[in-house]
Amino acid sequence: MDVAQELANYAAANSTATLDRATPIISDAGLLAAFDNSPVDSDEYKMNLNQHLLALTLTSTQSLISSLFALPTKSTSSGILTILPTPTTILPREKPLPKPKPLTKWERFAKEKGISHKRKEKDVWDEELQDWVPRWGKGGKNRQGEEQWLHEVKAGDDADLDPAKTAKAERKARIAKNEKQHAANIAAAANSAASASLSTSASSSKGKGELSQEEKKNLRERRKDELKRSMLISKTATASLGKYDGKIEGEPKAKGVKRKFEPTSTKDFKGEKESQLDVLNRLEKGVGKVKKSKKGSAGAEGELNVRKAVRFQGKVDRANGKSGGGGAASKKGKR
Amino acid sequence: MSMLRTIKPKNARVKRALERREPQIVENEKTVIFVRGQSTSDIVRNVMKDLYALKRPNAINFSRKNDIHPFEDTASLEFFANKNDSSLFVTGLHSKKRPHNLVFTRMFDGRVLDMIELGVDDFKAMDEFDSPKSSVGVRPLMVFHSDLFDTHPKYQAVKSHLLDFYNGHALSEIPLIGGIEHVISITAGPLDPDADINDVSASASEKNLPKIHFRVYTLKLLASGSKLPKIQLTEMGPSIDLSIRRIQDADEEMMKMANKRPKVAKSDIEKGLGKKKKNIETDTMGDKVGKLHLERQDLNKMQGRKMKGLKVRPAKNLTSTEDIEVDDE
Repeated sequence: MDVAQELANYAAANSTATLDRATPIISDAGLLAAFDNSPVDSDEYKMNLNQHLLALTLTSTQSLISSLFALPTKSTSSGILTILPTPTTILPREKPLPKPKPLTKWERFAKEKGISHKRKEKDVWDEELQDWVPRWGKGGKNRQGEEQWLHEVKAGDDADLDPAKTAKAERKARIAKNEKQHAANIAAAANSAASASLSTSASSSKGKGELSQEEKKNLRERRKDELKRSMLISKTATASLGKYDGKIEGEPKAKGVKRKFEPTSTKDFKGEKESQLDVLNRLEKGVGKVKKSKKGSAGAEGELNVRKAVRFQGKVDRANGKSGGGGAASKKGKR
Repeated sequence: MSMLRTIKPKNARVKRALERREPQIVENEKTVIFVRGQSTSDIVRNVMKDLYALKRPNAINFSRKNDIHPFEDTASLEFFANKNDSSLFVTGLHSKKRPHNLVFTRMFDGRVLDMIELGVDDFKAMDEFDSPKSSVGVRPLMVFHSDLFDTHPKYQAVKSHLLDFYNGHALSEIPLIGGIEHVISITAGPLDPDADINDVSASASEKNLPKIHFRVYTLKLLASGSKLPKIQLTEMGPSIDLSIRRIQDADEEMMKMANKRPKVAKSDIEKGLGKKKKNIETDTMGDKVGKLHLERQDLNKMQGRKMKGLKVRPAKNLTSTEDIEVDDE
């Protein structure tokens, strides 16, 4: 390499001259990147590649630097920092967006009722000690009942009752209950997550013919309600209306209509007057009477369920051995 | 996937570590794993070494050979990704059909998102440049030249990969003076006028695709008399010429998921979202109060009262010389 070439190389390496570009260089300061979208000069590229690359880089970097130096700064103890904007180029994330944490049963309830979260202090004030004591843990308020040196025994208590032991058992029971609820919440969350992922995978793989998760849930809920109702109805299908039947575990509780009472003291006399006038009106028209006469086909014994009475009689007859079948139809079939 | 057992945290430290691996609103910087295939060439290994040097400290270098063919089977990459909580891979391979092969793989949610395969045509290592190098962990500037990076799908993929590789993690602030040391320049050559640009799918066009030139320069800010400095560049290496080979595009649905941005208020970001500020409180008077946790004091090293009698003297010369004589014998 001759001297002239070397000098030229040196000059190129130390130059700060920039090239003219056809399109302005786009810089994404958020990612510290610049994009020069003008086509690369073919001749320069073929002739002296590395020098052209250097010149290109110098041009675009100078433009990027100028956009960076135009950004707002803030001074901190460690020097002046430039505040970068959010990037304009969208690059894929590493992991999906975090899913909202499933609510626990209590959180759901609190949300429904509008109860706001109140942070419990770790320490509680003890009036006797006139000091703060921990709510739980060593020397905690919740074990004061078990750790005191003298226990009060009430007059009616057993002689062999150990108050410390019962207090401890109660505390342990509370812990166990909480753990059970915690486990149930976790299981519910896992269940819902699994079903959600199942439904999304199903919907993505099978297309639009499938039901959405919401619809599926609605269906499931409806079916559940139906089953509950039919079970409750079937339970009352005995002569005693299910009064003496054994309870099944997890049996749904029949919810009747709740009676509502008017408040005893009211300032709204207009409403009271109206309601009482309404009662009088109904008495005059005989609303209840008409209804009763329509329904009660059995006359005076309107309360009697005739169908049930017949069936009951049939059962009694069978028990007495009068007939093998029971109903008239079955009798006919046997003979 | 099932090869990894699910860990149930036994203590708070493990729990915290696992929580850090869970999806976050503001993500941490992606970690790159450099892994070698069953057969590699010297060039590929050196290229990987230099790329690794530029990516440190957010990179893991696997020193052993692994039977990996990313375009055929991605199971082992997914396993490594889950095990190391990383989402970028550089696999170095070398075969007769595809000499000096580099495969860049991007993962999303523990699965392969997309891949590009680049062949190394020319390489000059960082050591061969007699110039100052950038410090470890300094964020580079990145510049892309050529209209192809804007228009051609294959070059767009390369641009996205390389940008994600070094500058994917957006910073909120940076010191301009002293915080910028080098610039990575990526240039695609001019398109051959005979070649058909739109012939994207045909394998024949692979040869016609212009090369990509990867250059790294250190940057010097010179006073210019105004607020804006002039810059001077010195090549620090590596200098790599790459050609595009196979490209596996991302699944559309997956890419859509990956490109979702969280809706966060700007004030939340400024407050340092995702970074829990511990031990800093504002008291009722509105003063900022910090709590410092110091290490337990080592009382053995504490300077007690100085007395002549308690002075530790060096062992006497006489005894030490005797010891040496004994040793010599």
